Amino acid sequence: MGRRGRWRLFAGAGAAAALFLSACARQGATVQGEEIHRLYGIIQGLAAFVFVLVEALLIWSIIRFRKRDEAPPPQVFGSNRALVGFFAFGAVIVAVLFPFGEQTLSHVQRQEPPLVNLRVEAFQWEWTAYYLNEGIFTTGRTLKQPMVMELPVDEPAHIMLVSRDVMHEFFVPDFLFMRNAIPGHPNTFTFTPNKIGTYQAQCAEYCGLWHSRMTFVVKVVSPTDYAAWVKDKTLHAIGGNCSPNGASVHLTAKNTTWSTNCIAIPAGQRLSLTVTNLDDGVDHNFGIWPSIQDAIAKKGQLYQTGRFPGVATRSFDVTATTTLKPGRYYFQCDVHGVAMAGAFIVK
Amino acid sequence: MAVTEARPKPIAPEPYRRRVLEWLTTTDHKKIGILYLVNSFSFFVIAGVMALLMRSELAQPGTQFLSARAYNQVFTEHGTLMIFLFIFPTLAGFGNYFVPLQIGALDMAFPRVNALSFWLLPVGGLTIVSGFVAKGGAAAGGWTSFAPLSEQLGTGEDLWIAGLLLVGAASILGAINFIVTILRMRAPGMSMMRMPIFCWSTLATSLLVVLATPVITAGLIMLFADRHLGTTFFSAAKGGSPLYWQHVFWFFGHPEVYMLILAAWGIVSEILPVFSGKPLFGYRGVVLAFLLITALSFSVWAHHMFATGAVELPFFSITTEMISIPTGVLFFIWLATLWKGKLRFEVPMLFALGFVAMFLIGGIDGVWMAAPAMDFAIHDTYWVVAHFHYVLFGGTVFGIMAGIYYWFPKITGRMLSRRLGLWHFWLQLVGFNLTFFPMHMLGLQGMPRRIADYAPDRGWNTMNLLSTIGAFVIGLSMLIFAVNVILTLRKPRTAPADPWSGNTLEWATTSPPPPHNFDRLPVIGSARPVYDARLAGTVAEGDGT
Repeated sequence: MGRRGRWRLFAGAGAAAALFLSACARQGATVQGEEIHRLYGIIQGLAAFVFVLVEALLIWSIIRFRKRDEAPPPQVFGSNRALVGFFAFGAVIVAVLFPFGEQTLSHVQRQEPPLVNLRVEAFQWEWTAYYLNEGIFTTGRTLKQPMVMELPVDEPAHIMLVSRDVMHEFFVPDFLFMRNAIPGHPNTFTFTPNKIGTYQAQCAEYCGLWHSRMTFVVKVVSPTDYAAWVKDKTLHAIGGNCSPNGASVHLTAKNTTWSTNCIAIPAGQRLSLTVTNLDDGVDHNFGIWPSIQDAIAKKGQLYQTGRFPGVATRSFDVTATTTLKPGRYYFQCDVHGVAMAGAFIVK
Repeated sequence: MAVTEARPKPIAPEPYRRRVLEWLTTTDHKKIGILYLVNSFSFFVIAGVMALLMRSELAQPGTQFLSARAYNQVFTEHGTLMIFLFIFPTLAGFGNYFVPLQIGALDMAFPRVNALSFWLLPVGGLTIVSGFVAKGGAAAGGWTSFAPLSEQLGTGEDLWIAGLLLVGAASILGAINFIVTILRMRAPGMSMMRMPIFCWSTLATSLLVVLATPVITAGLIMLFADRHLGTTFFSAAKGGSPLYWQHVFWFFGHPEVYMLILAAWGIVSEILPVFSGKPLFGYRGVVLAFLLITALSFSVWAHHMFATGAVELPFFSITTEMISIPTGVLFFIWLATLWKGKLRFEVPMLFALGFVAMFLIGGIDGVWMAAPAMDFAIHDTYWVVAHFHYVLFGGTVFGIMAGIYYWFPKITGRMLSRRLGLWHFWLQLVGFNLTFFPMHMLGLQGMPRRIADYAPDRGWNTMNLLSTIGAFVIGLSMLIFAVNVILTLRKPRTAPADPWSGNTLEWATTSPPPPHNFDRLPVIGSARPVYDARLAGTVAEGDGT
């Protein structure tokens, strides 16, 4: 192979690698994601230039300067001028790159007046999204059913992201976006989905045992479909119906799910409650509320146990139930909210 | 018939027992250096097997080899051991053996402290690994051990903290020893600016250790106190914040990355000139770049925290991009050193060239993530896993292997087989790229890191399978390396004092060197005293004595 042939080979290999990588970068299914995709392309161009330059010089040196005779090579110790040049090269690249990055960042961080206002809660190992304007929520069942959240296309969605326990991360690959859910530090961000579709998403910050199963689905739908979904989801009491079977109840929490979604006790009796927490190292508790709305608003709690980590079993003598009138109430683990809840019936 | 002949009592103690005792109590920097290398490569085997287990699990969707619980422990221990018990101590082992030789000293400044800082390592390492037999298993919080998850975990986490405190103490003691040795023990004529570049890299590393490691030590103690003494440093519910842990961790964690690569840059900057027949193009430039990177590395930590949305994005973005400037200078200096040289492709040179080619990719990957908006798309995905393996494997491990092939004859008096070395190099190069290049694609396709399993419909299957095949190719290359070492150690000591036509003082003494290192030192009038002596004819080339 001649010299020119070699150069073509290097250039071709570099171009192929660049194409290979760019083909894999997602386009972005939000207005912000498209901006990030553009930034990816710009960095790609600069990176390909540096990569091809350095690797070509390296391979050229390897081929051209192989030792062929015993004559000593020139002893060159380098010069200050060359050094200045080396520093200047990198400085120019940074000077070009940094403004592009900042420009994209300012677009991505821009907050628009949102149509959809969400509070998204992350916990081990599930998601719950509360639609604050519509008064609905959506959640999943850990290890069984991922949360499915719908968003209307072309409308800015504003998310307040909180964590109920450890660090998590809201990551939708097709939106080219992730943000941490941090205990005690709510994060807010806005994005505008602009392509109808179903997008797989999941927690990206390692959060313990079932991190890999903490997935969710974002469905971007037309405004009419969104309205239908909201109607369908409109807040309703959780759980079915069940009959009392004495005044002693044994509940088991496993993988952030209760063993039942309905508890019934006879009116006017104390409840002998046993809670077994099988989730190693994860806190749970048991709380009774007048209704799910009250639980979300955190007002009027009727009873709560202390929270305790698994694996452990605790028993409680609940006297608060003696004064409850017959009717439907609501129970949940206050650590995990509506994702771990059911109907509490007094008959 | 009974044999009544009386056996003469041995005059000396059992040679075997004496030899073991000698190794256990030695304060000779060369023996301690060998202990470092043996210990490090033992942990490399353990952590490497863990890597193969992880790749086996991830080859296909579904759970085949490791449960989620086991996987989480294995990836935590893999990262911890590779970083703290393999890469860093290997570089420290080279430092122990070669810094005194390269500066013409008799030993390290504090030989007993040196022995202590070595012996803390296996103790700390075994403490970390012992988590596997503890109740609840080994630590499973990742090597970053983010709070508050790390406050939930079981006994394995306490063993992890205790082990790292020991390893941290070891590295701080070692770093002080290096700094004093380099500043105070140099031979006459060995000025700072004539010092071999590997010594400069060790000095820069030691400065980082002394400044950054106490920070993580404090952080680990705070974490322990949160877990057992009722403090609330990292607990949001009680007035602390999980973000404090991340700041403390990464204030150490980013300089740590440079602790893991500076000495590899040093090794490569020694090897490229020797096998090009030219001096380093811009010795001062390399020293300046090392010092700039050391200083700048303390201003970039929060680029690991862009996705928290809780740090000053433009500041950490620009400092991170700025640190690529001196790093880029190193590449140009290496290329200019090769330029118009007479390149000899011995095995150490191949690994050094492989280092330059692969570390470049790791460095370029990092530039994407330095832009916060881009980081939002690829942070915590396999892109990051690709990036830091191109830096720490493509970079440091290639550098370490270059150092092993380069210095093995000096340490053992025996030359490693070139034939097996070539097999090792090419398989490692191919296996490495096959393992880690597909991870870029996985990251761009949205595969998060640290997941024990993935759904089959995410489009990640092919790249994961390729990556697993690559991992076993790396495994094969390491087997060949092990065979090479074992076969070579059974051969007689025939290596000459200076098999590669080296530049620096370790090549002016026998292979291996006598306990006192040098019978006589050559005149030190430049950064290449052995080159000068060879030119003046005072040392015969290839002289075996």
